[in-house]
Amino acid sequence: MELIAKISKGTLMDQIYIPKNRAGLETGSYVIIRPAILGQEQETKPNFYNIKNIEPIKVEIARRIFGIISSIFDCENIIIVGSFLDKGFNFNDLDIVIINESKINIKSLELTVKSKLGFNSHIICLSNKELLAGLRTDPLYQAMLSRFVSKQRLIFKIKDMPDYKILDLHLLKSQFLIDNFDILTGKEKYSLTRNLIAIKLFLENKKITNEMIDSEIMRLFKLKTINELKDNIINKLEFLKRFKEIYKKTFNKIMEGIKNEPKPQ
Amino acid sequence: MSQNRNKLINLLIGNLANSIIHIILEKAINKPEINEKYRKELVNSFQIAKKYREKINPKESSFPSGDIEYIKEKLIKRVRAELSLRISKGYQNINLNLIKPEVDKILSELLIR
Repeated sequence: MELIAKISKGTLMDQIYIPKNRAGLETGSYVIIRPAILGQEQETKPNFYNIKNIEPIKVEIARRIFGIISSIFDCENIIIVGSFLDKGFNFNDLDIVIINESKINIKSLELTVKSKLGFNSHIICLSNKELLAGLRTDPLYQAMLSRFVSKQRLIFKIKDMPDYKILDLHLLKSQFLIDNFDILTGKEKYSLTRNLIAIKLFLENKKITNEMIDSEIMRLFKLKTINELKDNIINKLEFLKRFKEIYKKTFNKIMEGIKNEPKPQ
Repeated sequence: MSQNRNKLINLLIGNLANSIIHIILEKAINKPEINEKYRKELVNSFQIAKKYREKINPKESSFPSGDIEYIKEKLIKRVRAELSLRISKGYQNINLNLIKPEVDKILSELLIR
């Protein structure tokens, strides 16, 4: 027997009223309560890329996200990336990439996710072409998609094609650390250092994953763990000296690339 | 200028310089899709600069003329140095004539002048 009923608000506890005259569902029997909306949301089996372990609750959240977004509009793929996939529950928001050929109302979608799941989300919408171009030219795209959960299986084979002028804009972002070291939190310093090191690895044609970036940061800045940076317990003088050296070398490499770029006809 | 105010002004200059460099480099690249994509980073620098501005007196009116001259001069020097460095390394299509109007525009937006 299956019944659809509404949850009503109670004083101490909320309740669901069901008719007294019914066949089955005896008083005292145990039942499963599940949102009826699930019938409308598409049930999907998530695909994992480069994820060794993930908490079952997160798999369920991913499934719900795919269901919620798919019930609103039909997109090519939905990809969950970022700190949500790290062990534990230290993520600030859900980073979601939607692959769709036309633009969508991101703000309203973020609000829907918030109202249905209670999580803040940061959604970006890209066409397939934009995604592939980003992966070819942008180290941060590569880092972002080094690990993900997606609705559809996602296969991409890309050849790095650095766009040096874009890399220059990216690198400029890390200049911020040099100017504002004293006021930045550990997490902000980590993010700006990560940006610099991702660009460095990209220019060296190395694989860019979050683990690779972290281990390169630890090696270059002689840190025992990455948390020394995230927790802001680094030696300012030593760190800044090393940071400036790496920044300068990376900048020079980018400028070399710009100089040797084929000139537009 | 008190030491703290001086420090805040220098931080303000650093962030404003980054925003202006970003704007001029975007124009040098001249690809509309890039402008949209990297706008967020530009906005970040500007937002931080705005926060510094809100901490510096006078908050609701223009800065004294001495301060304006100091900020403007430093800003132009810094942006010019960064962009000239790129030009000297072979970066083409950077328009140095944009520096002054962009500096004026950003200073007006932040109620500095």
